[in-house]
Amino acid sequence: MSDNDYSLASIGDLSEDEIFDLLRKWRESNERKSREINKIWTCRPDVVIENRPNEKYLIYEQIILATLDCNNSLGAIMVINTLDKQFPRSLRVMRYKAMVLESDGRYEDALQVLDEIIKVDETNAPARKRRVAVMKAQGLIGDAIKELVDYLKKYSADMEAWQELSELYLQIGEYSRAVYCVEELLLHQPHSHLLHQRVADIRYTMGGVENLELAKSYYCQALKLNANNMRALLGLILVTNNLLGHYKPTGCSKRKEAWKLSRWAQSEVTKKQREMRGADDNALTNMMLSLSISE
Amino acid sequence: MAELLLDPKIRLWVFLPIVVITFLVGIVRHYVSIILSSQKKIELLQVQDSQVMIRARLLRENGKYLPRQSFAMRRHWFNNEDTGYFKVQKRTSNAQNPMTDPGMMTDMLKGNVTNVLPMIVIGGWINWMFSGFLTTKVPFPLTLRFKPMLQRGVELAYLDASWVSSASWYFLNVFGLRTIYALVLGENNAADQSKMMQEQMSGAAMAMPPDPKAAFKAQWEALEITEHRWALANVENDLLIKND
Amino acid sequence: MSVPLKKENVPEPIAYSEAALRNNANVLEYCRTSMSALSGSTAGVLGLTALNGFAFYMFSVVILWVMFMIKAGPNWQKYYVSRQSLLTHGFLGGLCTYVLFWTFIYGMVHVY
Repeated sequence: MSDNDYSLASIGDLSEDEIFDLLRKWRESNERKSREINKIWTCRPDVVIENRPNEKYLIYEQIILATLDCNNSLGAIMVINTLDKQFPRSLRVMRYKAMVLESDGRYEDALQVLDEIIKVDETNAPARKRRVAVMKAQGLIGDAIKELVDYLKKYSADMEAWQELSELYLQIGEYSRAVYCVEELLLHQPHSHLLHQRVADIRYTMGGVENLELAKSYYCQALKLNANNMRALLGLILVTNNLLGHYKPTGCSKRKEAWKLSRWAQSEVTKKQREMRGADDNALTNMMLSLSISE
Repeated sequence: MAELLLDPKIRLWVFLPIVVITFLVGIVRHYVSIILSSQKKIELLQVQDSQVMIRARLLRENGKYLPRQSFAMRRHWFNNEDTGYFKVQKRTSNAQNPMTDPGMMTDMLKGNVTNVLPMIVIGGWINWMFSGFLTTKVPFPLTLRFKPMLQRGVELAYLDASWVSSASWYFLNVFGLRTIYALVLGENNAADQSKMMQEQMSGAAMAMPPDPKAAFKAQWEALEITEHRWALANVENDLLIKND
Repeated sequence: MSVPLKKENVPEPIAYSEAALRNNANVLEYCRTSMSALSGSTAGVLGLTALNGFAFYMFSVVILWVMFMIKAGPNWQKYYVSRQSLLTHGFLGGLCTYVLFWTFIYGMVHVY
C-alpha cells in the first residue's frame, strides 16, 4: 500500500480525503505519529476538520497530543479552545489543559488542575495516571512510584499502569519488584512472547542460579511462542552459558540439559544468520563464538 | 379455497408504509436511546472491588505461567487469614431494593421509554390507522393455530391461515427487522463501533455483582482450591523435540 | 497458534485471541444477515412457495458456507474454531430474516 511509505515531505501533496484516512488509520492502530500530525495541523490549513462531524473531536484530540509532543503548545491551546467552547465543563478537556501546563513546565499548576478533576470525579482514572506522568516528568521517580502504587491499589487490573510501574522500578534498579509487575502483565496476556522475554530479561539481570533457571524457562517459552524472537534466542545462549558455569562439572542432568539447550540455540542462531546473509555476517558469528563456552 | 384478490392500492398505502414506518421507528429509537443513555456514576470502592475480582480470576486461570513462589505470593495477598484482601475487606451486602435507588429507577424508566413505549404507541397507532386490512400472504401453508397470530383484527373463520392482517404484519416486521438494524446501524458509522468496543471493555470491568461479600467469598473459595501447576516445566524439552 | 501441538503435551490448549474471534464473528454475522436478506428477496421475486422456499434457504446457507471455505483457504483453523459451527450458527436468526424478506417481496410481486 502506498499509505505506508509516505514521507513527511509528501504530506503537502495528499488530498483531504487521504489525510483523513491516514489520521483514522493511525488512530485505530494506536500509532502516535506526532511529527506527521503536527505537520498536517500546521501546514495544511486547507484541511477543514469541521467537515467531518463523525470524527472531528477524535481528530482534535489526536492533534492536541501531537502538537504537545512537538512542543507546539500554541497549536494545542488553539485546539483546546475550540473544544472548550463546545464542551465548557468537560473533565476531558480540563485534562488536556493540564497537559499543556505540564508541557510548559508549570507542574504545580498542572497538578492543581488534575486534583480538581479528581475532586469532581473520584473515578477519573486518566487524571490519576496523568499525575504520575507529571511527577515522572519532573524526575521524581520515587514520588511517581508511590503515586502509581496508590493508583494500582484502586485500579489493580490496569495493564498500562503495571507496565509503567515495572519500567519505573527498573529505572531505580528494584528488579524483584519489576518482575512482580511484569508477572502481573503476564497474567493478563499469557501468550505474549514479548512479556515472557521481558520476565526472563529481568530474571537474568537479577542473577543467581534460581533466577537464571527461571529465565531459561521463560526464554524457552518465548521462543516456543515465537521462533523468530532473536532477543530471546540470544538471551537463552547467555543464560545457558552462565548456568553452565554455575553447575558442577560432572554427572548433573541439569547441566547436560543446559548444554544441549545452549548448543541448540547456537545452531539456531547460525541458521538464522545464514538465512539473512547480511554484510556483517562474519562479525556477528565471531561475536557469538566469543560468547560460547568450549567444552 | 378460491384465491382472494387484493386491491393494489393496499400494497401502496398499507403494506409498504408499515414496513417503512417500522424500520424508521427502529432507527429513531436507536438514536433516542443513545441520547438518553447516561454515564453511570460508579463509586471508587466498586471499581476497586471489581478490578480485584478480575485479578483474582486471572490468577486462577493464568497463574500456571508464574513460578510457584510468585503464585503463592499473590494468593497469600488475596487469601491470607489475617491480611488477605478477601478476608480484611468487609463489604456490607448492599443488595438493595432497586425501587429505593433513584438512579436505578430512572434507568429502568429510560429502558421502558425507549423499548416498550414506542412499540405500544406505534402498534396502537398502526392498529387504528390500518385496521382490518389483509395485507399479504405468506408463501407457505400454515396450520389453523397460526390464525390468531397472523390474522389479528380480521376475524374470518374460513380464511386460509396463510393470509396476514395489517397489525400482524407490523409485529412480524418488529421482530424480523432486528438483525437488519444491526446491519444498518453497525456499519454506518465507524466511530460508533469503536465506542461499542470501549463500552464492552469497561462494561466487563465495571460489572460488579450486587453483593460483593458473597462474590468475595466465592472467589476466596475458588482461589483456595486452585492448585499451582507450573506450565513451563517441560518447555525446554518441548523446544528441543520440536526442532529436532 | 503457529505452534503445532504434539500429542504428548495435550494439557496446553491452543490460545485464541478473543478480540479477533469477536471480530470474525461480527463479520460472519454481517455476511449471514446480508445473505439471508438477499436470498429472501430472490425467493420472493422468483415466487417460490412452501418447501421450495425453505429448500432455497438451505441452499443459500450451504453456498455461503462454501464461500467462507473458499475464502479461508486450506488453513481455516487460523480463522475459525470449527467448520460445523460456521454452517449451523445463526441458522434460525437468519431464517427469521429470510422469511420476512421472502414474504415481503412475494407480497409485493405476486399477491396483488
